[in-house]
Amino acid sequence: MPTFKLDGKTIPFEAGDSIIRAAEKAGVEIPHYCYHAGLSSPANCRMCLVEILPAANQRAMMLDIVEWDEKLGDYKAVRKPKLQPSCQFMATEGQEVLAETSTHVIEARAGVQEFLLLNHPVDCPICDQAGECKLQDYWLEHQKTPKRMHDEPVHKPKAVSFGDTIVYDAERCVMCTRCIRFMDEVAKDPVLDMRERGNLKEVIVAPGRKLEGHYTLMTEHVCPVGALTSKDFRFKARVWFLKTAKTVCQGCATGCNAHFDYDPRSNKALRYRPRDNEAVNKYWMCDEGMLSYRDVTSNRVPGALVGGKPVKLDRALEDAKKRFGSVQKSSIAFVLSAKHSLEDNLALFELAELCASRALYVTGAPDGYSDDILIHADKNSNTAGVKNLAPEAKSFADLLADASAGKVTHVIALGGAAPTEEVTALGRLEGLVTIAAHEGPITGAAHVVLPAAAWIESSGTFVNAKGMRQLAEKGTEPLGASEPGWKLVGKLAVAIGVEPSWTTLKDVRSMLVATSVPPPEPPSAEASAE
Amino acid sequence: MAQAFPKKPASPANAVPVVYAEKTPSTQSYLPEIIRGIGVSMSHFFRNTRDMLTGERPDPVTESLDIGITTIQYPEQKRPYPQRFRGVHRLTTRDDGSPRCVACLCCSTACPAQCIFIEAGEYEEGDKRRGYERFPVRFVIDELRCIFCGYCVEACPCDAIRMDTGLHPVPYDSRDQFIYAKKELLGLTARDGSHASANPRHEPGDPSHPGIDRDHH
Repeated sequence: MPTFKLDGKTIPFEAGDSIIRAAEKAGVEIPHYCYHAGLSSPANCRMCLVEILPAANQRAMMLDIVEWDEKLGDYKAVRKPKLQPSCQFMATEGQEVLAETSTHVIEARAGVQEFLLLNHPVDCPICDQAGECKLQDYWLEHQKTPKRMHDEPVHKPKAVSFGDTIVYDAERCVMCTRCIRFMDEVAKDPVLDMRERGNLKEVIVAPGRKLEGHYTLMTEHVCPVGALTSKDFRFKARVWFLKTAKTVCQGCATGCNAHFDYDPRSNKALRYRPRDNEAVNKYWMCDEGMLSYRDVTSNRVPGALVGGKPVKLDRALEDAKKRFGSVQKSSIAFVLSAKHSLEDNLALFELAELCASRALYVTGAPDGYSDDILIHADKNSNTAGVKNLAPEAKSFADLLADASAGKVTHVIALGGAAPTEEVTALGRLEGLVTIAAHEGPITGAAHVVLPAAAWIESSGTFVNAKGMRQLAEKGTEPLGASEPGWKLVGKLAVAIGVEPSWTTLKDVRSMLVATSVPPPEPPSAEASAE
Repeated sequence: MAQAFPKKPASPANAVPVVYAEKTPSTQSYLPEIIRGIGVSMSHFFRNTRDMLTGERPDPVTESLDIGITTIQYPEQKRPYPQRFRGVHRLTTRDDGSPRCVACLCCSTACPAQCIFIEAGEYEEGDKRRGYERFPVRFVIDELRCIFCGYCVEACPCDAIRMDTGLHPVPYDSRDQFIYAKKELLGLTARDGSHASANPRHEPGDPSHPGIDRDHH
């Protein structure tokens, strides 16, 4: 691999990498606002300027400038090297680049930073970006001088609604155009643009349009400052109070890698942020996915239910025992869920094995909207995982047909979701127990519902449409009386008179390795959390 | 029951023996010392009786340096608190009576006891402060958990929280009475009875405000 030198450190690069990209890959950060690995480089923020030393037997490009001399009390002529934006300058073999070690670069960074903050309102106390703002970080890192301009800064529109999801503050904007480029290049909907020039510049929505579509929240995420804020997260929390769990979005089969931010003090879910993974979602997530953090609380099974009435878990298990205790174990049908983790499904699959039952079915949410950017039509996060676990499992339609034909009388199901709302055939069953995190057609028809933990409340493995096995960390504590699905399957097994072969998550995980599911592939190993 | 005490450790090699005062008949009999002690007590008794009758009292602030009656009949009598005494918090108000607080959570962040809870809200559409500020929908301080360090006051960028009420928390009957909500905090005043703070505030629309749009209106 060809290499170049950055501050004396050897940095490898691939053909076509800019200096900043190669440095980023090598773990060296060159400060930047407008550069984003997933977008084009306009080089308009000038924060990533570096000094590129001339090759042997070449002269450096020098600029004649004047500099204020304190002793002389006058300007004097000096020469300085022409600095280059590292986001646009391609890395070449043997090149020598100076960043931290060049006084010219250090001076330029402080200058750019001061310039960007010239008209900044410094309303950090009421800005949602505070704590994760590049302006704050770089001021501390590269400027550290108080403001020299004491005139009233230029005022521009604040709290401009760009649509249903985004609010824009022109005063905080550094005009990096990341949001504009994102809408142009990734979302393919060039609805944002700029108007005016210089310090009057502002980002606008095309006349007659508003910022809409499936990728509007990403504009907020790419914004390096607090100019764009999400209406959903606006004023909800200060980011330094939040904890983050590395998880996988449950919205569809793409399985976008995400950071799940929650307040550990109140156990409250607050937002999703995309987690970079070149192999899955690159740097992006869709709006539906970003807002699906709300599923932690919305539409949840509040506690154990018997006949739709809330009861204690023990009471629900007793009821299940009554219904299933005298039934021949091998006649019980098991319904796996593509919306639950591999661990939960494996536990149920194992229970089916222990019962010597071959009647396996799969349920999941119905298909929905899809596009060719990220959104997959399959709205289940683990379809591939369940398919790999139980390739012979029959569809939900088969379950309905078998139930109405009387072939299946007792069912133990995972999840409340079903591909269809029409589940009257389940009413003919003599016993239907479901272990579900969210309500759905199956929980509506079930005799006994056991409250399972949602994806973020217990660590779980999910296999996306590409067949990549990804681990999701535990974030918030389980809501109410809910418990991890695999644990509930174990309790249910004991209730119906079967000794489960697992007691801990470790047991389930070791069984997971033993099953036919392939081990994580190299790209997904990067994706899965440590 | 017999109890085994640990044995006294052996004296260190460099131990120095204690030198006791010489035993003389006057120290052995205790009498001169007892009479001297009663003398000290009686001198205080007569001086205090005289001060009480004449109504003379030493300055309570410098009392520790003074002799005379140093007991005060709290709560009828109170020691004057110094100017910078950190008392119960209050929320200062603007001219229109609304809290100056913009719910930035700086106080809550600075608080080492984590006793401040704030829920931020946005002004209604059409409010002149919308977009520029937010306000506390809820502002709660647990005065029982508070350690009165004053960091919240230091952290506040808006001079919205102060500890200049001159009050210390009243000993209530139950713990939840120590939870001061926004209403109680706004109800407390500075020692001079005012709700405002010493620092002026420039509101959008005031002649002193530099303006919120490009034309500085």
